Amino acid sequence: MAGTIQNRERFLAEIATRLGREPKVRVEKPVWKHQPQRAVLKDASAEELLDVLRKQCQQIHTDVVETTLSNLPNALNETVKLYGGGPLSLWRDPRFEEFGLSNLIEMKWPSEEIEVNSWDATLGDENIERAEQANVGITFSDLTLAESGTVVLFSSADKGRSVSLLPTHYIAIIPKSTLVPRITQAADLIREKLDNGEQVPSCINFITGPSNSADIEMNLVIGVHGPVKATYIVVGDC
Amino acid sequence: MSMKFSAKNFNERTKDNISDDFMRKAVASAQERLHGRRLDAAEELGSWEEWRSHGEEIRQHVLENLDYYLYQLSENVAQRGGHVFFAKTAEDASAYVRDVIVKKEGKKVVKSKSMVTEEINLNTVLEEAGCEVIETDLGEYILQVDDHDPPSHIVAPALHKNREQIRTVFAEKLDYKNTSEPEELALHAREKLRQEFLTADIGITGCNFAIAETGSITLVTNEGNARLVSALPKTQITVMGMERIVPSFEEFEVLVSLLTRSAVGQKLTSYVTALTGPRDDGDADGPEDFHLVIVDNGRSEILGTEFQSVLQCIRCAACVNVCPVYRHIGGHSYGSIYSGPIGAVLSPLLGGYDDFKELPFASTLCGACTDACPVKIPLHELLHQHRRVIVEEEGRSPISEKLAMKAFGIGASSNPLYSMGAKVASTAMKPLTKNNRISKGPGPLKEWTDLREFPAVGNTRFRDWFYDQKEGK
Amino acid sequence: MKVSLFITCLVDMFYADVGKDMVEVLERQGCELSFPKGQVCCGQPAYNSGYVESSKSAMKNMIKTFEHAEYVVTPSGSCATMFKLYPEVFKDDLQWSDRAQKLADKTYEFTQFLVDVLEIENVGAKLTGKATYHPSCHMTRLLGAKEQPKKLLAQVEGLEMIPLPNGHNCCGFGGTFSVKMGDISEQMVDEKVNSAMETEADYLIGADCGCLMNIGGRAERTDKSIRVMHIAQVLNSYE
Repeated sequence: MAGTIQNRERFLAEIATRLGREPKVRVEKPVWKHQPQRAVLKDASAEELLDVLRKQCQQIHTDVVETTLSNLPNALNETVKLYGGGPLSLWRDPRFEEFGLSNLIEMKWPSEEIEVNSWDATLGDENIERAEQANVGITFSDLTLAESGTVVLFSSADKGRSVSLLPTHYIAIIPKSTLVPRITQAADLIREKLDNGEQVPSCINFITGPSNSADIEMNLVIGVHGPVKATYIVVGDC
Repeated sequence: MSMKFSAKNFNERTKDNISDDFMRKAVASAQERLHGRRLDAAEELGSWEEWRSHGEEIRQHVLENLDYYLYQLSENVAQRGGHVFFAKTAEDASAYVRDVIVKKEGKKVVKSKSMVTEEINLNTVLEEAGCEVIETDLGEYILQVDDHDPPSHIVAPALHKNREQIRTVFAEKLDYKNTSEPEELALHAREKLRQEFLTADIGITGCNFAIAETGSITLVTNEGNARLVSALPKTQITVMGMERIVPSFEEFEVLVSLLTRSAVGQKLTSYVTALTGPRDDGDADGPEDFHLVIVDNGRSEILGTEFQSVLQCIRCAACVNVCPVYRHIGGHSYGSIYSGPIGAVLSPLLGGYDDFKELPFASTLCGACTDACPVKIPLHELLHQHRRVIVEEEGRSPISEKLAMKAFGIGASSNPLYSMGAKVASTAMKPLTKNNRISKGPGPLKEWTDLREFPAVGNTRFRDWFYDQKEGK
Repeated sequence: MKVSLFITCLVDMFYADVGKDMVEVLERQGCELSFPKGQVCCGQPAYNSGYVESSKSAMKNMIKTFEHAEYVVTPSGSCATMFKLYPEVFKDDLQWSDRAQKLADKTYEFTQFLVDVLEIENVGAKLTGKATYHPSCHMTRLLGAKEQPKKLLAQVEGLEMIPLPNGHNCCGFGGTFSVKMGDISEQMVDEKVNSAMETEADYLIGADCGCLMNIGGRAERTDKSIRVMHIAQVLNSYE
């Protein structure tokens, strides 16, 4: 259902008056004179991007685990154990199956009495409660920005915002094929979606390591309101 | 808190703050750290000047077409089910937010950091309506717990406080029992606030940039509090200054790249979140109801004037972090929630010269701010413009100064008059001169010699020497 | 090369030696110097205080005075910057805008002129000791003369240059700011003097007499034993 708009006409007319012209109904974005963002890591290979990501993760206090597709279940299991096990909060994401993690999630962890909660929109608020109780939140990265060490998450009914936010620890699984130079390419991907008639999801998160703050005497404290630790598991899929 | 928070005048505030040793050390070390980080980040990125030009061009284009982009934004927010309220004044904006909350029977409000909500005095209005309002940015939370101490920096609001002061405040107000280690203090805040996030019915955020094409608002934080504010409460209200908008994600990514580098030297902050409308059908988190309040509050009056470029500001505080005046007087001396060079330009425009006419003069026009600005606002030129308006258009300078400047205008345009004046001054100053310097000057010289020696007038002026030596030859 | 000296009020009245040193350095480089007699003040004190209209008569006087000069050279980055601003001040004044532009185009700060126009970095000066350099704000940021003084000082025989901590911070002069906002100016200049003392340098060198009068005056008042020198004095030293 469409929302409401109040007081718009007068408000915008005032702006136009101050700018000394009639209100504008159509504006073409100019071709910007400078576009330095296009040059950043322009010709970097996948390996070079991975190297940039590795180095950047040291800056953002994020551990990086590199693994192969076949070893991914082990790597994920080990990282979860390192963080102290469950309860776990996961997206409902077909990629868990595609990346060979079904056995780990559906058999192995339950057999070890590690509680696994996959996001289930039909359960409503209970999802938030479960994510809040979780020790580790696990999501895939939809797009990974090498320069800044950022995982980009597009929300959906199966991909709740809370999974990467409320648990104490956060693990992002990064398929190597999602690596791009920087946030410029995220904007490009969004442009592509819009051109295809899609709309942007209600929430896009650009996550760069664990939460932190320097509000007390400029001292960096890792772990404030969001997760206190984060690991990226990079998996070769290409 | 409204924009102005102090009844004292500028000189009194400055004196108070200059004697605050902790604050001054904290500011100096923060400046050095942030300044260094910004330079490193700019150097690592390379072609920084080109980035700045790009940022400037985007911001200028948006301001020139602001009505169009706000129209587009509001259409797209509404299309996604959000409600948009255009607020002409601070009062309109706060009243709308209050009414939304009252209608929802909201009791507990969690807020993420927002300067514009300070500007419109929102917390007071909501508290008067019976709401509990909780600031969740760690710095803002500390200030709120400490009986609403005003922010002293637009990015690091509690910069002026040390860990011992924070520990004492937490112990008094929050029954805190641990040490003054920042980790322990932050953990305490995390635990306290987590409960508030989970039980709040209203979330209020600011907005770093709205994106017109998609009807999105974006939030840039490190702590994650803005994500919690926008993920958990059933109603989200976002308040934005009307100029904080970009055409599309392509421009957003450029400006956020400039913002995080300039503010804290990070390539991106831990969380950059783009939110579009309320939750989508089928989502199980995010707000069910979303309101966007777009605030004018004096901004439109800046459009079309010589001060328009100040609206390019993206609130990174790079200018604050290099300002040699801010360095010594701290944020509270400005008497406005907007401090430093940007505050000295913006506060008189939004709050008027009656309260803020000293601020443009609290600058040496050294230009460090202009150099630092990632979107190339000519801040020191705008400070100078204010001075011109204050003395020439508003006539607010002392009569003695006006007369002196008039005399200057006459004397400095004619060599004979100037030479005569110089001779008179030289003769007058002779008796005051000892050891080739003047230690106690009369009249306007007194202010100088209260602090420093003043050089004696030379026995021979340069021009006389030159005539004798060169032209006399 | 014909050079017209724009000597500035401070040098004319208080620091004639700085002017003389500049004259000698330039002459040694073969410049033919003149001193247009009509020159008074560039207008900066009034202009920076907001009195733009009151300052225009002083500016017009300078434009007229230097109308026929080939090059205008001045021992002050700040006053050179003021000349560079004239075209902006007179941009809507058809009678003056072109003339203002011409003056701006041919004006150089002393070290700029040596390095950029004469293309010389070693003037053969000799001064023994440790020195630190204060980069004046208007000169570095507004005029853009950052590297020229450093290049020249690096070639002075016997001079060891030590970086000034937080050198980029203003010394607190700011023209009328120094007396209008004395409380703040005092803090700023104290920090500058203390930073200079920390370097244990014998000399604090600058290229603007306003800043040097401020820093030097404060150093003297607080009994700090650092010698404040204008760069022209350093470049004309031959022990």
